[in-house]
Amino acid sequence: MLPRLVVLLAAFLSRRLGSDAHGTELPSPPSVWFEAEFFHHILHWKPIPNQSESTCYEVALLRYGIGPWNSISNCSQALSYDLTAVTLDLYRSNGYRARVRAVDGSRHSNWTVTNTRFSLDEVTLTVGSVKLEIHNGFILGKIQPPRPKMAPANDTYESIFSHFREYEIAIRKVPGNFTFTHKKVKHENFSLLTSGEVGEFCVQVKPSVTSRTNKGMWSKEECVSLTRQYFTVTNVIIFFAFVLLLSGALAYCLALQLYVRRRKKLPRVLLFKKPNAFIFISQRPSPETQDTIHPLDEEAFLKVSPELRNSDLHGSTDSGFGSTKPSLQTEEPQFLLPDPHPQADRTLGNGEPPELGDSCSNGSSNSTDSGICLQEPSLSPSTGPTWEQQVGSDSRGQDDSGIGLVQNSEGQAGDTQGGSALGHDSPPEPEVPAEQDPTAVVFRGYLRQTRCAEEKATKTGCLEEELPLAGGLGPKFRGCLDDEAGLHPPALAKGYLKQDPLEMTLASSGTPTEQWNQPTEEWSLLALSSCSDLGTSDWSFAHDLAPLGCVAAPGGLLGSFNSDLVTLPLISSLHSSDSS
Amino acid sequence: MKLQCVSLWLLGTILMLCSVDNHGLRRCLISTDMDHIEDSFQEIKRAIQAKDTFPNVTILSTLETLQIIKPLDVCCVTKNLLAFYVDRVFKDHQEPNPKILRKISSIANSFLYMQKTLRQCQEQRQCHCRQEATNVTRVIHDNYDQLEVRSAAVKSLGELDIFLAWIAKNHEVTSSA
Repeated sequence: MLPRLVVLLAAFLSRRLGSDAHGTELPSPPSVWFEAEFFHHILHWKPIPNQSESTCYEVALLRYGIGPWNSISNCSQALSYDLTAVTLDLYRSNGYRARVRAVDGSRHSNWTVTNTRFSLDEVTLTVGSVKLEIHNGFILGKIQPPRPKMAPANDTYESIFSHFREYEIAIRKVPGNFTFTHKKVKHENFSLLTSGEVGEFCVQVKPSVTSRTNKGMWSKEECVSLTRQYFTVTNVIIFFAFVLLLSGALAYCLALQLYVRRRKKLPRVLLFKKPNAFIFISQRPSPETQDTIHPLDEEAFLKVSPELRNSDLHGSTDSGFGSTKPSLQTEEPQFLLPDPHPQADRTLGNGEPPELGDSCSNGSSNSTDSGICLQEPSLSPSTGPTWEQQVGSDSRGQDDSGIGLVQNSEGQAGDTQGGSALGHDSPPEPEVPAEQDPTAVVFRGYLRQTRCAEEKATKTGCLEEELPLAGGLGPKFRGCLDDEAGLHPPALAKGYLKQDPLEMTLASSGTPTEQWNQPTEEWSLLALSSCSDLGTSDWSFAHDLAPLGCVAAPGGLLGSFNSDLVTLPLISSLHSSDSS
Repeated sequence: MKLQCVSLWLLGTILMLCSVDNHGLRRCLISTDMDHIEDSFQEIKRAIQAKDTFPNVTILSTLETLQIIKPLDVCCVTKNLLAFYVDRVFKDHQEPNPKILRKISSIANSFLYMQKTLRQCQEQRQCHCRQEATNVTRVIHDNYDQLEVRSAAVKSLGELDIFLAWIAKNHEVTSSA
C-alpha cells in the first residue's frame, strides 16, 4: 500500500514540477505597449519566439493605484487586444497598467507589463474628417474631431482637450507630390486662399494640443478641384464698368466729330461778291459812260524825261513799273485804299507832297503811279491847249495814262475848274504852289477818266508821238489831251486815278469840297492800281470791270510806259479795240 | 445720489478684490514654462516608469486626492508638493543613467524656480494654507513612507506627469509652444 502511495506521489510531484518547468519555459512576450487613439485603445504585444499554434495570450489590466489585476482575456490568438471598453475613464484618471503573458495549454509565461503607465499622454490625436468647400476663390475647410462610438456622451474631444487645440494643414496641388505648403490654424474652421489658381488641391490635417506632448496623426487626403470662375460678381461689375466707359468715350468722340464737321459759316469778312468786290464801284458818284481812251499829248511827256529816265521804272508795284526804291512803294497805299473820305486822302496827300516834289525833282522815284514824274516848268491857266496845262488839267481829272505831272502853281489854278468835274485832282493845285516851292514837282499820278464822245472825236486830232522818256518807257502811246480846261464831269473816272498829295494838303487846308472828286479819284486810283495789278493776267476780269473804266484806262495810261510792262501790248490792243 | 455713488464704489472695490484674490496664485505661475518640464519628463517617462514594480500603489493619486482640491487651496498644495519633490523625491532617487539624470536635474531646477515664484506670492499673503490643503499634503507623505525609499522615489518620479497635469489645470498656464 505504502509503496503504491509513494509511487503515485512521486509521479504527481514530477508532473507538477514538469508542468511548472514547462510554464516557466514558455517565454513571455518581449514587449507590451499601448497604441491608443481617441477612445480607441489597443494593446499590442510581440509574440513569443517559437510560438506554436496552441499558444495564446492572456491579458490583464490594472487601474493605476487601485485594486488587483483584472484578467481581460484568457486566451487571445491575436497579438493585440482592444481595451477601450475597460479604459473609458482613461481621460479622467491617472492611467492604467496592462500585462500580457503567453499561454500554451497549461503552460504560462511570465507576465510582461507595459513599460509606462498608460495615460492620456499616450493617446495619439487624430481628426475625424475634413470637409472642403469652394467659395469666392477660397477653399473653406471644416475639421471634424473624432467621434468614436464607444466614447461616453460627456467625453468629447473638445471637452477633454478644451484648450490649445491646433491643426497643421498641408496643401498640395495635384500634379506636385512633394510641394506642400503648411499652415497652422487654431480653430476647426479654416480658409485657404488659392490666388486664382486652377486645378485640384489636396489637403491633409494633423491635430495637436500645444499644452500637451501628445503626438498627432495626419488625416486622410481630401481633394477639391478649382475651376476658373468667369462670372463672379467682381468680374461682372468690372465688365459693365468697362462697357460704360467705352460707350462714353465713343459718344464723346462722335459728338466731337459732329461738332467739328458741322456746316460752318464763313466769316462775314471773307464773304465777297465778285461784282461788289471793288468798293470804288459803290463810290462812283456819277453814272458811268463808256470808257474812252484819250490819247495824251506825247510832246508833253518829253519834259518828263530827265526824271523819268533816272527813275527806276522797273518793278513798280502799282502799275507794273519796276521800282526798287522804297519811295515808290510808300505811295502804294494811296492807290490801294478806296478811301471814300476825302479827308483820308488829303491826309495821305499831306504826307506826300514834299516827297513827291522832291521825287519829281529827283527823277520821280517816288511816283506811285507809273514812276513817271513829269515836271512842268511853267504852266499857265490860259495856255489851255498846251500840254502842260492839259496835263495839269488832265492830271487833275483827265484820263491820263498814268503820267504824273508836276505842275506849277499857275497851271493848277486854271485846272481847278475843270478838274473837279472829271474828278481831277487839280483843284488844290493853285494852293499847292502857295504852300510849297513853286518849282516843286507835284506828282499827280495817272488819271484815267471817261470822257464824252467829243473827247473821242478829238482823238483823231491827237498827236501820236513817241515819248522819248527815259529809255524804258513805251515808245508809243496815244493820248489826247483834253483842250478844254473845264471838262464836263464825266460820269466816272474809269481808269486809275492817282491822288495828288498836294491836292490832299489843299483839301486839308479847306478847299471847297465840291471841287474835289476825291472819292472818285480815290476810286479811280483804286481801280488803277487794281487794274495795273490785273493787267498781266486778268483781263477777262478787267472786261467785267468795263463799266468801271478799268479796262480802257490801262490802255491809255500805260501807253507811255515802259515796254517792259506786261500790260503794255494789251493796253495798246485794248486801245485799238476801243477806238474802233 | 451721493449714497448711491458711495455704495457703487464700494461694490466695485469688493469685486475687484475678490477677483484679485481668486487669481492670486495663477498670476504667480503663468510665466512658468511647463512645456519644457513636460518634454523632459516624456523623454525619461518610459525609463522611470518601467522601474516601478508596484502599479497598484500610488502616492499622488490616492482616492483622487488632487482632484478634490479647491481653488483656494491650490496655492498651498502646489507649494507643499513642490517642497515634497525637491526635498524628498529628487534627493532620494539615485539615477545611474546620465541622460536620465540630466533630465531629472532640469525638472528639479524648474521646480526650484517655481518655488521661488510662489514665495513671492506668499510674502504678499496670497497663499494661505487651510486644513484641507494640510491634510492632502499629509496623505501624500504617508503614501511615500509606506514604500521603500528607492521604490517610493522612483514611483514619485513616475507620477510627475500627474503633478504637472494638475498644475496646468489649476494654474491656467499658457502654452509657449
